[in-house]
Amino acid sequence: MGKILFNEPSKTGTGPASQKTTTTGTGFISDRDLLKKRSKKYIDFLSKLDHKTLTDTKGWNEAMQIIQEEFGTAELASLPLGIVSKCYLGHPYEVHIMDLSATQIIQHYKISEPMPGEFEKARGVAKHNTYALVEVYNDKLVLLREDGTAIKL
Amino acid sequence: MSQQVITYADLSIINNALRSISSDMAGVHSDLGSINFKQDQLESELDKLATAFANFVAADSQHKALQLAETRVGNLRQDLQIKYGYYAEIRRMATGILQSVDTGIVSDDTLRFSTEEIMIKAPGYWLAPALIVLSAWIRDDKNNSDKALTESLKRDDYKTTLFFMLVMRRLGRNDASMKWLERYFMHQNPHYLDREFIVILEAVTTGVFPPAARQLMMTNVKNWIVQLSQTDNFINEQKNQWITFFRSVGQVGDTYPLLKKFAANYADLESALRNAKAYQAMLLHFNNIFSSSADLSKVVRVQLDEILTLLVTNFDEEELPLQKQVRLNQLIIEMDGDKAAAQLKMDAEQHIFDEQVDFLQLLTNAAFNPQLSGATKATQALAVSISQPWIIEAHDTFTAQNRSTIPPQANLSIDGFNTATANGEDETAQLQKQEAFYKNELALELSKLSFPYPMIAIGVLICLGGLWGFSYHVVLGIIGLGIGAIMIWSKLAAHKKEKQKIADNVAERERKAKEVLRGCIAELVDYRKEYAVEDNKSEQLRELLNEITPQDFSSVSKETARNII
Repeated sequence: MGKILFNEPSKTGTGPASQKTTTTGTGFISDRDLLKKRSKKYIDFLSKLDHKTLTDTKGWNEAMQIIQEEFGTAELASLPLGIVSKCYLGHPYEVHIMDLSATQIIQHYKISEPMPGEFEKARGVAKHNTYALVEVYNDKLVLLREDGTAIKL
Repeated sequence: MSQQVITYADLSIINNALRSISSDMAGVHSDLGSINFKQDQLESELDKLATAFANFVAADSQHKALQLAETRVGNLRQDLQIKYGYYAEIRRMATGILQSVDTGIVSDDTLRFSTEEIMIKAPGYWLAPALIVLSAWIRDDKNNSDKALTESLKRDDYKTTLFFMLVMRRLGRNDASMKWLERYFMHQNPHYLDREFIVILEAVTTGVFPPAARQLMMTNVKNWIVQLSQTDNFINEQKNQWITFFRSVGQVGDTYPLLKKFAANYADLESALRNAKAYQAMLLHFNNIFSSSADLSKVVRVQLDEILTLLVTNFDEEELPLQKQVRLNQLIIEMDGDKAAAQLKMDAEQHIFDEQVDFLQLLTNAAFNPQLSGATKATQALAVSISQPWIIEAHDTFTAQNRSTIPPQANLSIDGFNTATANGEDETAQLQKQEAFYKNELALELSKLSFPYPMIAIGVLICLGGLWGFSYHVVLGIIGLGIGAIMIWSKLAAHKKEKQKIADNVAERERKAKEVLRGCIAELVDYRKEYAVEDNKSEQLRELLNEITPQDFSSVSKETARNII
């Protein structure tokens, strides 16, 4: 018997049918939003935190404004808990956290000094030169390359 | 009535009777034994018989099924012959007509007569009017050709489209084949693509179709990707497959035997290195795809003709139910009447024919293993360049996962000494820690050894006795003192020896453990170096992937477009 090449019911009608497409609501769409490329301004500002001081209210306000612009929202809930990046203060400091939750401070951490909760997971990748910043969320990390590309972990 | 007095009971008769009964019973017992034995024998015989019978029934039903299948195959074939006999004839003619069109040696009249005849003989079959279209087209009879074409499209739009697309391509009618190609693309649903689509894609890629076809294809491809990435998790699905692919290609040898033996988390260290080794393998994989420069259009031309042959020689849907039954019965005959096995095989065959994939899956299949999905390197290159955005995403995720899961420290456990070191830079400190561990170990072992106080006390007592013995006799005193002194001395010597043995033992352990620790640290240094080198290649790979522009696969075939996408 010959090979049956066309044993499907005849395909009349044109165009790709879209009846199979289902919207998934969560996950995919929000992922795409989450992983959009970050702006150069955002990356530059946050990766240079070592060189400036944010102790005065003005500096902090500027930082928050840039972050909110980037995420297009002023809601704290949809922002990352904090941003971890490599610390250039020099030995023994290795990483720092910019805490975006209520405390809103920058904390530098020494080698093998433990970081609080979710942040510790970001340490290994934050130290890697490829990633400029690591956004820490409740349930995930988003790594940012210097060109702004976002990678979800 | 006289009263009979029994003076004594004469029970001998009863006794005798009982004895004889018991001897009879013994006989019965032995008989029962032999009956039991016989029954066992009988049972096993019966079992054998039952098995033989069951076998016979199975064989018989298989035999009957075989006979039935043979009869049915004959009957079904007859049915087919009666109902669709002309279809087979048309298929034979179609091949003949195509060949005569190629060579141009059959007169127009003959072509016209025979095609019109089959049109009458096979109502409902799409190939009949399609052949009339061909013959009318050859003799420039536009009117007839149009009418027949409408009929053919009415009967089976998809197959007519595919048929004319392939025939026009074969005859080098570019404009016509473009039109048909356009219609063919309109038939495709990116969620469910047919198996032959990959060949068409390949043909367009390698330039077998006219150049404008590429533009047409890319417009469609872009729309499909937009459509697929808007709705479901199609892209994520492909991304995950790529990540799995990345994970599967890295390989590590047995380079770090000491770490393997003494690092508790070696499995994690090894898997991190294996993943990092994937970059080199993937670099080779992608370079291999884009460096090939063979002209593959010839292969594709043959494949296209194969589709055409299949199209005109394969069974039509109307015939399929009958053909399927014929196939099932044929399989039953092949399987010697085993219906279940035949059904299984039939299902497997069916599955291959039913195989339909979405467009992105088709690209991924072609990019992983072109041979398996029936594609050539040209299509592989095309598939990679279309999939490039999510290959890079997969690469980034894979890399980030690997970098976040590589253990920051190696947890060493050597002879009870547990330590952790990040990269072996702290060798001196580690060795000192180990030394301290063995000092402690020595103290611990020595503390377990008790001083032989009781024996020494006895020795002292005997010495005292000896001293007291002097008052009786000098010799007695000397003997007493001698024995006591020897006892004390030998116990002390034995204790010292024991201590020395423990010290030697611990020192030996320390010496060996130190070697192992040094070895482990040396291996860890090498490991981190090797990992860093392999990990760096991830950037190389990313650059390579970023550089994949549609121009790249134009080198694959001279005819391939430079302006795809």
